[in-house]
Amino acid sequence: MTLPSTVTPPTKADRELLAFANSAEFAARDLYAAAAALPAFSDDEKTMLVGFHDHHRAAGQALAGMVGSLATNVRSDEVYNAFRGRVMGSDKNAVLDALRDLENTLASTHLSLVGALEGSEGAALVASILNIQARQSAALGLLVGRSLDDVLVNAAEPLAPGAGS
Amino acid sequence: MNRFSRRDVLRFGGVGAAGVLLAACGKQAGVEESKNVKAVGVMPEAEGLPNVEVTDIVLLRTAASLEYNAIDTYEAALGLGVFTGAFAAAGEIAKRLRDDHRGHADAINGLITTLGGKPFTCGNPRVNEIYISPALALITDADNENPALDVVVLAHALENLAAQTYQGVVTLLSDKALRKAAMGIGQDEARHAAVLAQALNPGVAGVLPSIDEATGKPRVAAVPAAFGPLTPIPVTVGPVNADGTRSSLILETPSLNSLAYDNVTCA
Repeated sequence: MTLPSTVTPPTKADRELLAFANSAEFAARDLYAAAAALPAFSDDEKTMLVGFHDHHRAAGQALAGMVGSLATNVRSDEVYNAFRGRVMGSDKNAVLDALRDLENTLASTHLSLVGALEGSEGAALVASILNIQARQSAALGLLVGRSLDDVLVNAAEPLAPGAGS
Repeated sequence: MNRFSRRDVLRFGGVGAAGVLLAACGKQAGVEESKNVKAVGVMPEAEGLPNVEVTDIVLLRTAASLEYNAIDTYEAALGLGVFTGAFAAAGEIAKRLRDDHRGHADAINGLITTLGGKPFTCGNPRVNEIYISPALALITDADNENPALDVVVLAHALENLAAQTYQGVVTLLSDKALRKAAMGIGQDEARHAAVLAQALNPGVAGVLPSIDEATGKPRVAAVPAAFGPLTPIPVTVGPVNADGTRSSLILETPSLNSLAYDNVTCA
């Protein structure tokens, strides 16, 4: 029996891509913190928002651990500012829909990274983050009453690696 | 008077025993030799296992096999006629997810063909044997009080299994373009799982993990963790047993004994 080669670590180029993902995840963390602070949400809803906040923080930290000294560990202002204007006000569904768009954008970005990373170790980490963000997008879509097609299909464009990192 | 001393008896006896032993070890007319074991009598030739290789094609064939497992399961579930009343919406979801799996299977088999491999167009035999057939037998047991609910539970588990499989093969696939293709489908499976989780435990309370205070067991969650899990998936379905419990199956992603190797075919 012949098995595939062992897990390969990130290359230098991989670490730059993962550092970009690190900053995008911290932007998402801060957007969820802003959403959870809105008075419009119930305690149960805030619990979910804080949970998603924690997931993005954990993803950013895991990416930082793999990137090492290249990790900025600060949010991408470009990503943050692109969504911040929609994460405010008293229309809960509008805010949750904005966060769903954020999740879809990150999922598309991570999918793009999986196809760009040379090392399988980094690709595996990003894949594990991607699967959760796809779930988060689906859950938010259902909560705001999106159609099944909207929930299951991710048409978001990926962020360009390097932008805002 | 005895003509042989005790010493003579022992000496000649030892020589005789050694002769018998050597005769037993020697070649005998009409007896086939075994390459493996020197033995008296006819031995069958040892047959080694085929030398298989876990290639990108094998991993993709395995993924295709799981897509067919899902298609077959949804077909079986729809054929049971249980999606009525409160479960009518679940039936519509099942049709949509079945169709998605058909698209996934075609996409994966297209990749396999491009790579020069043979498409795999049936369910994974081992997954069928150890997970799906036993689960469907429990679900369709005459004493099962809620087969419709159990069908959704099984479908949720299979979607989790598919999502985990695609995530798991990322470290095994050598081609990064194939990794991306796999995860493009993997995220679809994750969304399927989230939708079915919400069908089982709806609303905001069903999004993150929680514990059922009545039973002390974890409830189904649309988003079960911060990272995509690669852990065994428990499924509890079927009628209540005499001891008050229900049967559980533990699903795991395909391993070396359940991959769709090149020599595995659809019967």
